[in-house]
Amino acid sequence: MDASVTTQRQDPDARAEALVASYERAGYVRVAPAILQPAEPFLDLSGEDIRRRMYLTTAPDGNELCLRPDLTIPVSRDYLASSAAGKPANYCYLGPVFRHRSDAAAEFLQAGIESFGRADKAAADAEMLSLGLEATAHYGVPTPDIQIGDVALFASLIAGLDLPPAWKRRLIKDFNRKTNLAQDLDRLVLGGNNARPEYQGVLAALAGSDPKGAHALVTDLLSIAGINAVGGRSVGEIADRFLEQSALGASARLPREVRGLIERFLAIQGNPDEAAAALRALTREAKMAPALTPALDHFESRTGFLEARGIDVKRVRFSTAFGRGFDYYTGLVFELTDPKRTGDPLVAGGRYDELLTRLGAANPIPAVGFAVWIERLAVYGGAP
Amino acid sequence: MSEPLVLAVPAKGRLQENAEAFFARAGLTLIKPRGARDYRGAVAGLDGVEVAYLSAAEITSQLAAGAVHLGVTGEDLVRELIPDADKQVVLIEGLGFGFANVVVAVPQAWIDVRTMSDIDDVTTSFRQHHDRKMRVATKYINLTRDFFSSHGIVDYRIVESSGATEGAPAAGTAEMIVDITTTGTTLAANGLKIVEDGTILRSQANLVAARGATWGKDERDLARVILDRVAAQARARAFREVRARFAASTEMLVENAKRKFNIETPFGGPTGSGVLTLHCPPDQVYALTNFLRENGAEAVAVAELGYVFSRDNPLFAKLESGL
Repeated sequence: MDASVTTQRQDPDARAEALVASYERAGYVRVAPAILQPAEPFLDLSGEDIRRRMYLTTAPDGNELCLRPDLTIPVSRDYLASSAAGKPANYCYLGPVFRHRSDAAAEFLQAGIESFGRADKAAADAEMLSLGLEATAHYGVPTPDIQIGDVALFASLIAGLDLPPAWKRRLIKDFNRKTNLAQDLDRLVLGGNNARPEYQGVLAALAGSDPKGAHALVTDLLSIAGINAVGGRSVGEIADRFLEQSALGASARLPREVRGLIERFLAIQGNPDEAAAALRALTREAKMAPALTPALDHFESRTGFLEARGIDVKRVRFSTAFGRGFDYYTGLVFELTDPKRTGDPLVAGGRYDELLTRLGAANPIPAVGFAVWIERLAVYGGAP
Repeated sequence: MSEPLVLAVPAKGRLQENAEAFFARAGLTLIKPRGARDYRGAVAGLDGVEVAYLSAAEITSQLAAGAVHLGVTGEDLVRELIPDADKQVVLIEGLGFGFANVVVAVPQAWIDVRTMSDIDDVTTSFRQHHDRKMRVATKYINLTRDFFSSHGIVDYRIVESSGATEGAPAAGTAEMIVDITTTGTTLAANGLKIVEDGTILRSQANLVAARGATWGKDERDLARVILDRVAAQARARAFREVRARFAASTEMLVENAKRKFNIETPFGGPTGSGVLTLHCPPDQVYALTNFLRENGAEAVAVAELGYVFSRDNPLFAKLESGL
């Protein structure tokens, strides 16, 4: 038993070292961030939900620390703290990450790449997918399923729609977490569900009035009640949203054709060329060219770079509805899986231009990368 | 008998009094042979049962670990402290005391917040405006996380609070809270209101069995006895006995009464002399007596029940199927 455990552990290590050595030859500097990390950035970026999968500990000074559950955030933080911050920089890594999993070991190896600051985004996107494919080939899985999506397309669609800001926020969030979207669309189409019965009369009275005056009135009423900043929100904020909700409750109703548009948009899938054609057609029909053209141009340019790298784009499955569930992803998302095995990703990556800002960068820094699931590849790919 | 069946009972306060009263009503008197300060006890007249007096939180973790067989603890603690609770323990029966709701509460001043979907929206715009996430003070970390996640809420942070949670928003250590409440008075006194669909759990004290405990024949036999008595008592409390005599056939009458008043007929149809015995939920008793009199009963007698033992043992069946 001990012997088999040892072979299993050494085997992936040796092959993984060779993989990362190839990244180094390609110009990616190998880094090894600390295994023990502050928990805050992970909880902040991934949400409380990740807490159940993290190994947390509390330092004597009360700070929460964790065993790193991934390497993207640690590499990003080290980059921001270094003198290279803000400049183009390319890193690769190989090391253990720690996540509680009921069906597999909590400690497992991930290799990967993080590329910061590159302005030629479409080319960088294509390079990531291409390097990801090299990784699976390195392990004897030369033709994995390639699933891609592009978060920027949905974001552009929503930005271009004539909807109240609250509903735009909501739809983007729904898209990211892949739930509630259908339900929210139903609610929007029906409309009126936001009405607050107990305030109905007041809201009706405020509905037609000058927004500034209404805001002042609500603020004054709250102040008279002796309420200032309770629970961290200012009286002004509460008043603003109260009035926003009243506007929503009174009038907002998603036209059926807009709902139809969103649904048709999210149904688009196929290889990137087919999908682009379908998206162009839908854009023309819905007269949304100003909103969608930049994202579509970028999408097509990326497909061009994929072809230039020798990737058979007919094999690439694109879906407008495919996302990663984290709100800092901003463009390409991709997963390589083995169709003969489970749907678990062998390689997963994408573009997260908002990550470094969320981690404290003063100016936006483009970022793209991927992670390789070493043990899974070693098993699926078989003996070297 | 080598190893005893261990029954864990809350060690102090109202919960202990209620639990002891509950078992006493079921004819199971908990005794402390070695004095009131002892944390080990027994059940009068039932050999082989050891009573362990522990805190409710300890009872919960001991149940999860299989270190005790049966225990009395709140469902809130079971759901909070035991991951995948239904795989570790069996909630056999709500005991009718220790009621408390675990709720999401926000400052009353948030006149724009009524539902969890408002909270979803507010938490996201709060992060955008304030560059940090809203904080939720609670001791129910797991319940909060699951509930928020089921509502798709992501932009929040949990601040662990071990006491006086309702004061956190006023103290500025959190924006909202998740806490237990019975009447809502404490929340209101602290300027908080319960979110309409923000009730996470309606909890009460439960009799809970540990799946991981040793359940040999001896333990099962003892559990059968305890649960039989508990069930007999529970059933007795859920019904009043209503007796009346009828001259004519009562078949249709009984069918009608079953539909209208949720009655049961523990002894089947009327006796040879036409006496019918019905078990009726307490809140339906008066309506039932009217109904019976309108349909030919001269007199109707209503009595409280001490115990109702039935051939089947539903609580033990629940335990057996859960183990």
